[in-house]
Amino acid sequence: MSGAAGPDGGAGGRWVELKPAVWETVVRACDCCGQVVPKRLWVVDIAGSERRFCGTECESLYRSYVLPRLAR
Amino acid sequence: MSSAATPGGAGGPGVPTAIDPVTLGIVNNGFVNVCREMGITMIRTAFSPIFNEGLDFSCVLFDRHGNMIGQAEFCPAQIAASLFIVRWTLEELGIESFEPGDVVLHNDPYRGGAHIPEHSVIRPVFHEGELFGFVANVGHLAEIGGKAVGSFAADATEVFQEGLRIPPVKIVKRDVNDMELWRLIMANHRTPRNTWGDLNAQIGSLRVAERRVIEMVDRYGRDFLEQAANELMDYSERWMRAEISAIPDGVYEFTERMEDDGVSDQPVTFHVTVNVRGDELIVDWTGTDPQVRGPINATYGVTAGATYNAVFHVTDHHIPKNSGAYRPIRIIAPPGSAVNVQYPGPSVGGNTETHPKLADMVIAALAPALPGRVSAAEGGTCCNFLFGGIHPKTGEYYANYHLEGCGWGAKSYDDGNDAIIIKNGNCRNTPVEIFETRYPLRVKEYSLIPDSGGAGAMRGGLGTRRIMRVQDGVEITVNALLDRTKPGFGAFGLEGGGQGGSAAIKVKRAGDTEFRTFTEAFGTVSASKFTNVVLRGGDEVLIESPGGGGYGDAYARDPERLARDVFEGFVSAGQAQALYGAAVTT
Repeated sequence: MSGAAGPDGGAGGRWVELKPAVWETVVRACDCCGQVVPKRLWVVDIAGSERRFCGTECESLYRSYVLPRLAR
Repeated sequence: MSSAATPGGAGGPGVPTAIDPVTLGIVNNGFVNVCREMGITMIRTAFSPIFNEGLDFSCVLFDRHGNMIGQAEFCPAQIAASLFIVRWTLEELGIESFEPGDVVLHNDPYRGGAHIPEHSVIRPVFHEGELFGFVANVGHLAEIGGKAVGSFAADATEVFQEGLRIPPVKIVKRDVNDMELWRLIMANHRTPRNTWGDLNAQIGSLRVAERRVIEMVDRYGRDFLEQAANELMDYSERWMRAEISAIPDGVYEFTERMEDDGVSDQPVTFHVTVNVRGDELIVDWTGTDPQVRGPINATYGVTAGATYNAVFHVTDHHIPKNSGAYRPIRIIAPPGSAVNVQYPGPSVGGNTETHPKLADMVIAALAPALPGRVSAAEGGTCCNFLFGGIHPKTGEYYANYHLEGCGWGAKSYDDGNDAIIIKNGNCRNTPVEIFETRYPLRVKEYSLIPDSGGAGAMRGGLGTRRIMRVQDGVEITVNALLDRTKPGFGAFGLEGGGQGGSAAIKVKRAGDTEFRTFTEAFGTVSASKFTNVVLRGGDEVLIESPGGGGYGDAYARDPERLARDVFEGFVSAGQAQALYGAAVTT
């Protein structure tokens, strides 16, 4: 897997393009919503942990909904 | 689902659109009709009853950016899954990789598919050399290999046992079949002749749809049609947001269980939290059990599909069903849970058994917020019964996927429907005459089950009983995948309504006098989920589908309705007395 910041990448994260080898038949799931990430991961460091999302909207949902829920 | 509403018409949000509402409505109906014609083409050309009788397929139209701009009213579960299947396939392969005449085939349950028997085909539509969009459909192939005939291995523990898994690949390149790929597929299915016929019905219907889209572009012009599609999506989004805004803000939860996963006898728990926040929904499935060993896990496509279906059931059904309608709904399905199976977990039963329960859970969670607008639970199982063997007439291997209708949940204003395939399937019951003509079994009984509808002011719909006899001199291999057979797992009622009746699948061996469970007769771990049981001539199989849940207090049922129930034999006099508190005689 190689990575490069995309044009719409925010300051807090980076786009990483997935380049699976032919024997890698499994697709990744978004850490927030669970959707398939077919091509590009939005990678963000949150509270010291690397989180991989399907896009910036899921980063927002993670911060506004999942983290508060986990804190309860 | 009825015909799409005219934008700006009655019930829709009255925001002006750049294109006049009448024209926009005509364009929308044009998109829908492209999809309907695709489906009709498949009905008339497919080989298998699951296509041309069961209608277990769906048809969709996408723009060149991967937004769904039209769909027909076939199988709701697949329609939602296709939203992801097409978009993710375009992302994975790259839109630039599509050339005129290409067809991509795909059945990977980990890439948006609902379960592995369902195969998607996707074809680009070019107009004067420029990409306009994509036509696609999803269809259930009756046999795709794996450990069980009919590819419904109820005791599967890995996807490899469920059939041949195909990631997105071009099976047709510039209108030329890739015969190397075809041969690979044929070699891994038990009934390759049917696969050839059904897949070509799917692919052929894409060509019909492509022609219709090109005719639309010719008539309206590319720019106008793209603008109309965008306005339609925005319109659907506004309408859906208006519907959600009418639901009181809050956090609504519901928990439901499945009796077992086919591999162990332990129940599986599902949990949903529906967050209503202004004009958006966050539907969170956190709290559901981790994915299980057996094949009742739901894929992401199934869970998303169930969620969307549920929301469509409690909002205005006239909202045009395109990508815009889905935008205000966010879904969280934790990977590795029973609502988002990860490789290599099995999932073939997730679409038929888990999907209906998930949809009913979202509906039931919203019951406090939408009093009178929700229904009790439906039977919630397809009663999947699959069988195959060497056909005595043709000498060729055959396989059939048979499913049963069940009772639907009662509503605040009416009883539940009887003997209807689960609402996410929207499939048809296969006529007995077709069934007997095609396969070496005879149907001895097909009837409604008295007292199977959950009691209530409004009664749950009735389940069905079917008894099939294997023809003399014939040997068949059978698989089954049902749920709601154990006490306490029936379809739940709402507002005091009672639970629906249980499902059952039993066998009476030739010479026996009584039906027994398959566990009793063959030692299967689960009485409702088993694989590769061999039956012989004279053996009989009984399938009972579950009834729907009741709505409201049974003692409040209209006496005239109850008297009619007893007269028709839907409710026994004994149950009228015991559950409804009324002495009714025929």
